[in-house]
This record gives sequence, C-alpha cells and structure tokens, in this order.
Amino acid sequence: MVGFQLVNGLAGLLIVTSLLVILARRPGNSARFYALQSFVLVLIFLALAEVSDSHELYLWSASAFVTKVVLVPIIMYRAFSKLDDPKLGSGAIMPPALSVVLAALVVILCFWVVSGVALPAAAAIKPALAVSLAHFFLGLGCIVSQRNILKQVFGYCLMENGSHLTLALLAAKAPELVEVGIATDAIFAVGIMAVLGTKIFLTLHTLDARSLTTLKG
Amino acid sequence: MITLVPDAMITLALATVLLPFLGAALIAGAPHRAGKWLCQIFAAATLVVMLDLVFRFAEAGKASTSKALIVFGRTEILGLTVDAISVLIALAVIAIGLLVAVYSAAYLNAGNREHPDTGRPRYYAFLLVFIGAMAGLVFSSTITGQLAFFEITGACSWALIGYYETPKALRSAAKALIITHVASLGLYVAAALLFIDSGTFALSAIAQLTPAHKAAVLLAILVAAWGKSAQLPMHMWLPDAMEAPTPVSAYLHAASMVKVGVYIFARGLMAADGVPHIVGWVGATMAIVTLIYGFFMYLPQVDMKRLLAYSTITQLSYIFLGLSLSVFGSDLAFKGAISHIFNHAFAKTLFFLVAGALSYTAGTRMLPSLRGIITKTPMLGVSFVVAALAIAGVPPFSGFFSKFAIFGGGFEVSQQNLLLLPMLVIALLESVGCFAWFLKWVGYSVPGKPSETMAAASPLPVGMQFVLVALVVMSVCSSFIAASWLG
Amino acid sequence: MVSSNLPLLILCGPLAVAALIFLLPRGSSPRCFEFAHLVSISFVLVLSIMIVGQVIDGNQLTAFGDWLYVDALGAVFLMVIGVVGFLTGLYSIGYIRHDLASGALDAGKMKIYYGFFSLFLFTMLLAASSNNIVMMWVAVEATTLGSAFLVGVYGQKSSLEAAWKYVIICTVGVAFGLYGTVLAYANGSDVLGNSRDAILWTTLAAHATSLDPMLAKLSFVFVLIGFGTKAGLFPMHAWLPDAHSEAPSPISALLSGVLLKCALLVIIRYYAITVRAVGPEFPQLLVLILGSLSIIVAAPLFFIQQDLKRKLAYSSIEHIGLIAVGLGLGGPLGVGAALLHTINHSLAKALLFCGAGNVMMKFGTRDLGSVKGLMRVAPVSGLLLMAGALALAGFPPFNVFVSEFLIFVAGLKAGYFWLMLVCALFFTITVAGLIQIVANSVLGKSPATMATGDVGWRPILPMAILLLLVLTMGVAVPQPVSRLLQSATAIVLSDSSSVAIAAPWQEPFSTTPQPDNKKAKPLALATGTPSHTETNP
Repeated sequence: MVGFQLVNGLAGLLIVTSLLVILARRPGNSARFYALQSFVLVLIFLALAEVSDSHELYLWSASAFVTKVVLVPIIMYRAFSKLDDPKLGSGAIMPPALSVVLAALVVILCFWVVSGVALPAAAAIKPALAVSLAHFFLGLGCIVSQRNILKQVFGYCLMENGSHLTLALLAAKAPELVEVGIATDAIFAVGIMAVLGTKIFLTLHTLDARSLTTLKG
Repeated sequence: MITLVPDAMITLALATVLLPFLGAALIAGAPHRAGKWLCQIFAAATLVVMLDLVFRFAEAGKASTSKALIVFGRTEILGLTVDAISVLIALAVIAIGLLVAVYSAAYLNAGNREHPDTGRPRYYAFLLVFIGAMAGLVFSSTITGQLAFFEITGACSWALIGYYETPKALRSAAKALIITHVASLGLYVAAALLFIDSGTFALSAIAQLTPAHKAAVLLAILVAAWGKSAQLPMHMWLPDAMEAPTPVSAYLHAASMVKVGVYIFARGLMAADGVPHIVGWVGATMAIVTLIYGFFMYLPQVDMKRLLAYSTITQLSYIFLGLSLSVFGSDLAFKGAISHIFNHAFAKTLFFLVAGALSYTAGTRMLPSLRGIITKTPMLGVSFVVAALAIAGVPPFSGFFSKFAIFGGGFEVSQQNLLLLPMLVIALLESVGCFAWFLKWVGYSVPGKPSETMAAASPLPVGMQFVLVALVVMSVCSSFIAASWLG
Repeated sequence: MVSSNLPLLILCGPLAVAALIFLLPRGSSPRCFEFAHLVSISFVLVLSIMIVGQVIDGNQLTAFGDWLYVDALGAVFLMVIGVVGFLTGLYSIGYIRHDLASGALDAGKMKIYYGFFSLFLFTMLLAASSNNIVMMWVAVEATTLGSAFLVGVYGQKSSLEAAWKYVIICTVGVAFGLYGTVLAYANGSDVLGNSRDAILWTTLAAHATSLDPMLAKLSFVFVLIGFGTKAGLFPMHAWLPDAHSEAPSPISALLSGVLLKCALLVIIRYYAITVRAVGPEFPQLLVLILGSLSIIVAAPLFFIQQDLKRKLAYSSIEHIGLIAVGLGLGGPLGVGAALLHTINHSLAKALLFCGAGNVMMKFGTRDLGSVKGLMRVAPVSGLLLMAGALALAGFPPFNVFVSEFLIFVAGLKAGYFWLMLVCALFFTITVAGLIQIVANSVLGKSPATMATGDVGWRPILPMAILLLLVLTMGVAVPQPVSRLLQSATAIVLSDSSSVAIAAPWQEPFSTTPQPDNKKAKPLALATGTPSHTETNP
C-alpha cells in the first residue's frame, strides 16, 4: 500500500509542476519546469512498476526519461530561448491567482468524475487517476488561457502527459511499442510546432496568438 | 440491374429521352455554328420517333405498358410507362420543343432588336437536354425517376433563364432553381415515404398504401407540384423568370417546366386508385387562392411577358382545380385537366412567341407602345387574337373545351360536396374577367393605325412565321386531338 | 482472417519513396521528384485495388501480428485513399509545375511538397489499416504532422497562420482522442485480463459487451471530440477552412476528400465498439447532434464566403455533418448511406478542389469577386468545375444525389421527419451558393485582358477521370462497391450474437430474395426492404 500512496503523492506533485509550467513567464523556464514535471512522471512510472510488478513499466520509465526529461525539453529550450516577444509579457489572459483557483476547481471536478468509475484496477489509485484527468484539462486550459503561441505548445505537452499517466495507471502492462509510438509522436509534434513557431516569429515578428488573424470567417 | 427489352413501345419511349441528350452531347463537342442546326435536327428526329410511338400505340389499342429499367433487388429505381396520358403529354412537349428550336434559330441572331445575340451552343444544348428530361419525366414510372428528371429540368431552366448573364437574369435564374429545388423536397419526402412503406419507388405502389399514408404521399407530391407549377406560395420565380430569352419562356413556362408540377400530381392521382378527399380539398383550395391572386396580379402588368406569366399561373390553377375535382370522383374533370395541359401548352407557347416576335421586330414588348399590330404585320395580329381567345377560353378555340370539361366535371361532383360550388363560381368569374381583360388588350393593340414603335418594325423572319402558323393551327385543333385521344 | 503481405507492402511503398525524396539532393532535376512521386501514387493505387479485391472476395487481411487489419470497412477507406490520392497526386504534377514556373514555389519547397505528399499518404494508409487502437491514434496524429508542412508550404503569412492553427487545434483535439483511446484500452485490458490483445480493435469489438459501460461511454465522448476535431465536425472545425484554403489545391482536395474521412473511420470504429457495448442510442444521439449542428452552422457560413476554397471547405464541414447524421440515424440504411456518401463526397469534392486549382492557375486568385467567366477563357476547366458544382449540389445524375437521398430516406424511416427537413433546407442554401459560383465565376464575362486557353492536359486528365467516377457512382453504384459497402455496414452494426469478427460477412442481409429473371444486385439499398427488421430508436 505504501507504493500506492507514493504514486498518489507524486501525482499531487505533478499538479504543482504543471502549474509552474503554465505560470512561468519565459518559455525557457517553462521548458525547465516541464523537464522537472516529466521527471516526476518517470518517478510515478517507477513506483507503479514496483507496485504492480510490471516489467513493461520499467521500460516505459526508461524511454519516457529519454524522450520527456531529456529530448523534448532540449528541443524546446533550444528553439524557444531564441524567440522572445517583449511586447507580449507573460501572455496570460488572467492573473496567476485566478489560474490556481481554477486549477483547483478542475482537480475537484475530476475527483468527482473518477469516483464514478467502477474498474477494480482503479480502486487504489483513484486520486492519481483524477490527477491524470485533471492534468489533461490543465493542459487544455493552458492552451486556451495563453496568448503566447509557445505556451500553447506546453499546453499540448501537459495534455499528453496526462493521458500518458492515465494509460500507465489503468493498463500497466501495455506493450512497450505502444508507449514508444506515443512518445515518438509527441517528439515529432513538439518538433514541428517548434519549427512552425520559429517560422511564424521570423515572418510575423511576434508570438502573440491574437496577431494571427489574417484568416477569418 | 439494367435491362433493355425488345418491347418496341418502351424502346421508342426510351429513344425520345436519350436522343436529345445525345444531341446535346454532340453540340457540346461541335463548332459554334453547328449548334443551331444540330439542335433542330435532333429535335426533329425526336419528334419523328415520338410520332412513330404515337401511331404504334394507337394501333395497339392504347394499351398501357410499363417496364422497369433499373432495379436493385426488388426496388424499382427507374422505369418507363407508356399509356394514353404520357404519350399525349410527351407529344406536346416534344412537338413544341421542335417548334421552339426552329423559332430560336430565327430569334437568336444579330437581327433581334431587343437582344442581339449569336446563339451560343450552350443555349441549344440545354434546350435539347430540357426536351429529353421532359420526355423522361413524362414517361417515368417511378418517383425516383420523376425526381431525377425534375431536378435536371430545374438545372436546365437555371442555365436557360440566366442565358443573357445579366445580374438580374442570373438572380432570377437562381431564384427559379432554388424555389423549385425547395419544392423538390416534397418529392424527396414522397419517395422516401413510399419506399419505407412499400419497399419500392414505383408509382403504382401508391395504390397499396393505407389511406393516411396515401394522403401523405400525395400531399408531398402536391407540394413539389406547387413549386414547379408556380402556385402560391412558391410562385415568385415565374414572373421573374421572364428575364429568359423569349423562346425559352415559351417553352419553359407554357409547355414544359410549369407542366412538370401538374403532371406529377396527375400521375400520383392516377396511380393512387382512390384518393382521400383531403388531397382534393387542399389542392382545390390552393388552386382557387392562386387563381384569385394571379388574376389581380395581371391587371397592373404592361410588360406582355409578365402579363403572360401571371396568366400562366392562373391557367395552371385551373389544371390543379380540375385534378383536385377529379379526387371527388369526376373522370370528366380529370380528362379536362389533362387536355388543358395539352391545349394550354400550344396556346400559351403561341402567345409567348408572339411576344417574342414583337420584341424581335419592334424591339419592345411593352403593351402600351404596341398598337395596330394587324395593320403592320397581319400574321402577328392574327396570332395575337387567336392566342388571346384560346387562353380566355372562347369557342371554337382549344381553351374552351378543356375548361368546359373541368367546370362540367366540377358541377357534377359539387352535387355531393356543396362547398365546391363557391369555388367553381369564383373560377367562372375569373374566367369571365380574364376574357374581358384580354379583350381589352386585343382591342387596344391589334387593330388601328400602327403606333410609332410598330410602324418601325422590321419584317418577321420565315422561321418564326412557320412556327406561328403551326401554333395557330394547333390552338384550334389541339382540343379535338386531345378529346379524341382521351376518348 | 488471412495473413497477407499486402497491408505491409502498401505502407512501405510511399514511406520508402518519401525517404528517397528527402534524401535526393535539392538540385536534382524536378523530373526525378516527379517520377518518384508518380511511382509512389501508382503503387498505392495498384495495391489498394488489390487489397480491396481480396476483401471483396470475402477475406480480411491481417499483417504485422494482427496490428494491421483490413476488413470491408477499412477497405472502403483504403479505396478512397488509393483512388483520390492517385488522382490528386497526378493533378499535383501540372499544378506544381505551374507554381514553380510562376515562382510561388522553389526547388526546395517542391522537394518538401513531394516528400510530404508520400508521407501523408503513408500516414493515412496507416490510419485506415490499423487494428491496434493506439497505433490508430498515432497514425491520425501523424497525418496532422505529415500534412502541416504541406498546408504551410507557400510560407506566406496567411499560410503559416493556417498551418499553426491546424497543428495546434488538431494535436490538441487528437490528444482528446488519445485519452479516449487510453480509456478504451484500459477498459478492455481490465475486463479481458489480457493486455496484449486488448489493444486490438478486433478483440475489443468482439468482447465489447463485457466492457464497463460508463468507461465505454466516456471513451466514446473523448474519441468523438478528438477525432471529430480532425474530421471537421462542429464545433471543433475552426482549423478546417483556414487549412483548406491556404494549402495548395491538390492538398486541399486530399485533406477534404481523404483526411477527414480517415478521422471519420476511427470514429466509426469506436462507434461500432460503443454500439455493441452500450447499445445504439447513446452513440447515435451524440453523432446525430454533432452532425446536424455541423450542417446547420456550415451552410450559412458556406454561403457568405467570398473565397472559393474557403467556401468549399465549409461545404466539407457540411457534408461531414451529413455523414455523421447518417451514422446517427443508424440502421443498415443509415450507416450504408453514410459510407456511400463518404465515397461520393470524396470524389466530388476532390473534383471541385482541383477545379479551384485550375482557377488559381488561370486567375491567380481565389476571390470570387475577381474570378469571372472561366468558361470563356478555359472552357474545359469551366465545364468540369460546373459539373463538379452541380454534382456537389446534389443534382442527378451525379453521385451525391444518390447518397443524400438515401440518407434522407433513412432519416424518414427512423422517424426524424423534421430533422431531415431542416437538413434538406440547409442543403438548399448550399445549392444556392454553388449556383452562385457557377453563375458568377464559371459563366459571365471574363476580364478583357485574360488570354483564352486552358491549363493544359496534365491537370485536366485527373479531373476528367474524377468526373467520370462521379457520374458512374451517380448512375449506378457498381456491384463490387455496393457489396463492399454492404459488408462494411454489417461490420459497423452487427449485434453481439454475430460479433465473431472472423466470421464471413457475405450476404449478412440475405433475407432479400433475388428476382430470378434479372441479374439483380444486392445494393445497400436493398437492405432497406421491409422484409428486413432493424433496431431503430
């Protein structure tokens, strides 16, 4: 049972790190916080692997470490540090305090939804499951509430981490190849978004999503 | 799936549908100048085939034949019916198609004072497609067939009404297409209901439905019919469609497009074998409402074509009235309505083509500036008088006989349904009013000293003269043909 | 199920060509790229036809340890990818040459274009032939990534903006899809106790009745939102008009004709699972609502657009909505008609987008205010565009009429009279819009300075073939296609009793007696005969 408590506790930490990613002022810092968050995720995987005695999860945590803690943050850090739009500021459309309150609301709501799931495997890790769902929606919230297009990329990454955690919690013995597929996809997605974001910055000289309004109707 | 049978009648009927389409395809690939000749040749060939069909059919004792052409499983999708009604109407549609093709060749050229034009291939191709689609609609034995040809005529009417490509013409064309397309939803509903209940699209299956479903299918067909036949509340496209070249107006709004509506309604009634009275009441009421509306609308018109447009609306109301009366058990009213389709086709085509001849020679079709037509161009004057009298229903011209049959049938059934009596009285009053009004314009325009515009009119081309003579003859004879054919 | 190399082969072909094209040096002759591209699209066409042929014979092909699986349902979409992919690929050659000549693209961009074209084809083929639900998600996500550069290939402000919106909205949307996938998988693996097989769609579908209903519903909602984004359903459609209008025309055709359908296939796959797990009412209602809303919202927006390709994009949303409505109506007729409409819309819309490409080549603009008189300056293009517009408007004898009509019948049969009437009326708005295009831009007076002359045979040929297909499907659905559709419908709908996926699907509705005097075809239509009882709400 200690293992499950560890999993649930680490999941709580995940929410904190994701708030840091959302609220960091500079994309470079967000990338650092994202690496930290992914590291927490890897720890959760390890704890889960220990608890459920899942050989696959050990492999997962290894590959997640390579992709999420190392590769993706590096790509983002290298790509985004060069891009800076001083006019934009933090790019958030609401004050940080409000974001935190809203995040708390999302978490509560997700706890309520998850309480309805009746799967036996989910019984011990319901808090973590709720966190993973909340994490998903926090990512979505990040995309909606940020005008900085680079922050929107982080939003996607958070969503992806959320669903990744759900997968690990609910189906610890999924084939390794599945995890590799998801992780590679995420790398490509982040890479392509980084390239497009850079191109947009070079062409439009801004990172403000509100300035992308040529196409309407 | 597709079966071609060696039944001569069906093959001939199929040929009348396909020949015009073939001609249109050839015109699309042929050089510019060949268009008008190809159109006339194919229209004439179609008429020849049609006449062959008429004689064979008469010889065979007018026995109805019906053949499914495309069948999926047990579901008949497309088929042809050759019977007395379809042959009669197809004859009118194809014969007038040829006359309009000949007339168009004389009308669409640089000598036209109102719209000098060279007659692009597109015009002739769509005219031929229209003839073919009309023949297809008339011979269709399934609702899906009717629906398909209904939509094809809609698309062609759009191309033809918008032919001059002025913004106004294009707007009117789109209006005609959209309104009739909305109306076609009625046919969609009818087809779907029929299919759900009977598993087939064949019209003959209507007879097997329960009375409630029968009424639903027929009312849905009636909605579609109102749209195509420009009845309230879907009438507005027709007066606007007068932006079309006049031969097109003549063909679409006298012989073909507007007759699609009344014809599919008649087909539905024929197939139904005992129709719930509600259909008759709805049809008759709307016919009378449209009749009154149309009558009051033609009083202020001075543009001859717009006047004819409203007159067409009221004449179609008569046909709807006749068909609706037949629901109450009058065979006479039904025959009257069918022969009115036939008669009105010739008479109204004549009237439109007179209007076209006036714009060709005098450069205008505004009635107030046209006086003394008979003095300047006797041929046109005579045609004007004949057309007006035939439309107003003066004996011995064709309109009289069919209207008489409708009224005769109506009074016969009103013995049982007294509510029908006021409707018939209103229709009779309209008839008198229409006569008076046309008499007024005949008296104003035809006799006397030519007005300035008329005096300057150019001579009438030979092609037009030929067509007008043919139509004058038909305006007298058509009712006898129809009466003897329908027995 | 038959193990076969074909599904693996058809994937390897375009992938290898894409790699080759990226490896070729930038300075290579354009002919080299074109040749490689032609090889790739012809390969896909031939193999897709071979696969479809095998499936029509009653086989289900599997490969790669059951991770790849082509049944009749997948074959329908493989066929669309093969045919439309080939024709738009063929069209690309003339179009890209024109862009090279006019300076809109340079040699490097052309390399990107052809390379990503094959890659894009590969990802779509993977999405259509995948049996592993996570791989299905990966493939759909990869289609976004593969086509993002194609959308932004012109590198202008507006095209970058479109590409950005496309990538962000679709990846975020598809992230929902991932969540739904994970839930479905977790559900299956928990119930089956076999985490290796629970990842296969066939297994999930076969054991759907034992799934946890709450999770199955939740998973379907996520999947519908996620892949519905990619399919362009309202209200997740915001990326679609931008991406479709800014991409090169053949890519617009591919996006609209094929990509949307691939996302739809995934939705249909989950729809099939959910129908088995919780009964038809829940998934049908959701799909029906989203579909009708898409129609109702897209039709007026379609009408007011001034940009030809934006207009067509909104029409795509509307038609996807109609397909969704067909699925939502359910029953063999509704689903069969929806699948038929999938094919028909792909062909007609590809024709129209290619026509829009010809307009771009001739006029250099998509603004309908300045495109006038195409018929006079380029008669063949004008004729093809006009035929395409009439086809899309749903006039007979073109194909869209057939499937729209069948969906309409299915709607009345399921008792949704008013809904169908509303949809039909909104489709009339579309008819008006298409007629406006033809009246103002195809017909009318061309600008005086415009030289007469068509765009050359290279772009015209694939369009002519498309028109031919549109007409063929309109006059009579060919027998193999109707057989395929019938089996595909059976796969979507089969109830739990016959859910053994390995069972042969042939003649699942053999209650229809065949008239003996004719060679009658058991078309999807025939399934609607009254002798057949069905489970409608």
